[in-house]
Amino acid sequence: MSSTRLNSWHVGWNSSRAQEAAITPTSDTGPAVELVGFSKRFGWNRVLRAIDLRVDRGTTLALVGPNGAGKTTLLKCLATLLQPSGGEGTVCGFDLRKEGDAIRERVGLVTVRGYVYDDLTAEENLRFSARMSGLKLGPDENRAALARVGLERVADQRVRTFSTGMRKRVVLAQLRIRPLELALLDEPYAGLDTQGMALVDEFVREFRDEGTTVIIASHQAGEATRAAEQTLILKNGKLSPMDHDEAAQSHLSFQSLGASEG
Amino acid sequence: MTSKSGLANFFGVTALALFLVGSFVGLFVVPADGMQGDIQRLMYVHVPAAWLAFLSFFIVFLMSVLYLIQRDLRWDRVAQSSAEIGVVFTVLTLALGSMWGKPTWGVWWTWDPRLTTTAIMLAIYVGYLAIRSFADDPDKRARWAAIVGIIGFANVPIVYLSVIWWRTLHQPPSSPRSVSPEILWTLLFNVAAFTVIYVYLMMRRVRLAKLEGELEQRMAYHG
Amino acid sequence: MELLRRSWTIVWKDLLIEARTKQAFNAMVFFAALVLFIFSFALGPDTELLQQVSGGLLWVGIAFTGILSLNRTYQSEETSGGIEGLRVYPGDPRAIYLGKLFGNIIILLAVEMVLFPAAAVLFQIQLLPHALELAGVAILGTIGFSIVGTFYAALTVNLRAREVMLPLLLFPALIPMLLGAVNATTLIVVGDPMLDSGIWIRLLVAFDVIFFVISLWIFPIALEE
Repeated sequence: MSSTRLNSWHVGWNSSRAQEAAITPTSDTGPAVELVGFSKRFGWNRVLRAIDLRVDRGTTLALVGPNGAGKTTLLKCLATLLQPSGGEGTVCGFDLRKEGDAIRERVGLVTVRGYVYDDLTAEENLRFSARMSGLKLGPDENRAALARVGLERVADQRVRTFSTGMRKRVVLAQLRIRPLELALLDEPYAGLDTQGMALVDEFVREFRDEGTTVIIASHQAGEATRAAEQTLILKNGKLSPMDHDEAAQSHLSFQSLGASEG
Repeated sequence: MTSKSGLANFFGVTALALFLVGSFVGLFVVPADGMQGDIQRLMYVHVPAAWLAFLSFFIVFLMSVLYLIQRDLRWDRVAQSSAEIGVVFTVLTLALGSMWGKPTWGVWWTWDPRLTTTAIMLAIYVGYLAIRSFADDPDKRARWAAIVGIIGFANVPIVYLSVIWWRTLHQPPSSPRSVSPEILWTLLFNVAAFTVIYVYLMMRRVRLAKLEGELEQRMAYHG
Repeated sequence: MELLRRSWTIVWKDLLIEARTKQAFNAMVFFAALVLFIFSFALGPDTELLQQVSGGLLWVGIAFTGILSLNRTYQSEETSGGIEGLRVYPGDPRAIYLGKLFGNIIILLAVEMVLFPAAAVLFQIQLLPHALELAGVAILGTIGFSIVGTFYAALTVNLRAREVMLPLLLFPALIPMLLGAVNATTLIVVGDPMLDSGIWIRLLVAFDVIFFVISLWIFPIALEE
């Protein structure tokens, strides 16, 4: 199930950024993610075992499961932060082992804590992200990005003074400064108030409209599946499907589920 | 299994035999050096030990490169074994060199280029083994060790050249004295004997490392 | 070049944080001065002796102080999610090495600008007549120290006993650089009738080039997970 096949470069907030970043659009066909027999182990600890996964472009996928199931590991593998231990994988058509650089140009990752420097201001953090991504953000665009997440008034305050929710918003702002083909969100709702969660949902909707593929990992089944079209469970390093509507209605947090099953 | 063990045993017996012959000749048969006297006989162990120390380190370097290219843990096991054996022979080299130095030069230690380089090489070896102890993950351990092994080895010739410059600016280098053919042949024989010892020790140690690896794996899955 | 631009961004970030928190610089200057003071104290008032060993003491002081800086290099990333935070961006990961390298060089040189005058006072050596040559040696030596140090720091950052492992790995590797720097400095300061300092400077240059190439080449492997 995929959404419209819009070429993601010509719509959306940051269309002009696309030209500046000079990313060559890949073909419209081909899945956003394709893993065959993919595994990841740390020493003798096999976190992901023989995963087969195919995510079509433009899909919004919820990945739910108990803590420690390997959701973060899977997302980090897709972002090329971790090398595969076995199997094959491509992201946006590029090989995970050999074409990591091309993948990182097209993928954005949001982690639980976020990669944010406490001793820099929100604005400086954004500037850092932009430059490291190869972009040049003028001060206006910088402010606009922060305004988008509701931080324009604290733009010049050091992140050290921020609450968890505010910190999360900085991370979300960093996510949106350049065009992405794949957005990986790890526990995006954690630590956010209702407004913050609505903001995440808004971003996911925008991603969907732009044709960006989104994968949301969460141990809270309800929130993640509400924003997504499909749901998969990751448990003990293996994937299994989950009835989407059932999951959307579910208020179950996987923490309790994980505990009871040991 | 038995054939491999048999091969190792063959090497072991050969090594022992060669070593005994070489030692006997070196200690009793070959005439002592005119100027230094009997203390010079230490050379028959010191020089082969030094040769082995450097050979071992070279093998560590080679295996490290092979591991980084192929990511096969077999190479890492050989590297580890070679490093352990190399440490022993490096210490032996330093000890014998020191023992030789006392009656000859009057001091226990001197900043002679070769001795200094050997001492630094020992430090690099120790660092190599030390960093291995910090990783439980065998792939990570092999990767770190390989990096340290490669850079460490690359450093050895540079250190050697620097120390030579350092010493020659202060005093002229000790010119290599010509050696009588009997001494030379005995030396070479002992070098060969020690090389066989090295091969034997390596065969045993690598096999042990393989078993250690299997044990580690089993304990991780069932422990 | 994109690589240099991203490296420079990392330097900018690190220097900005350092300027705000002032953690490292102050501690390093104080520590370095203390080390030199203790050396001078331990060796006693013999001026000629002090002058002869001034080069050695100075560079030992710089090396100890430099270790402090190196420990911090990647530690400063810890609160922001670790080195992952830098690896997640597109582009050659070697930009991380270059960025950290330039940062270390800058901070260490800044400390040395205080240290050399302090040494002049404590060891009674004349620096001004040879300021240019000394600066050259200081720069080459600092670069060499930082090249190898930044690399080993990346390797040991996650180890439990990193305070011990870093010096253990680093100091043997630094011997050629120390020999070069110490001898060149001593000759320049004490007198160089045979113009031997040239050899040492050449050694420093060779060391810097060789280890820069090796470190840059192997760095991505050190970062793998």
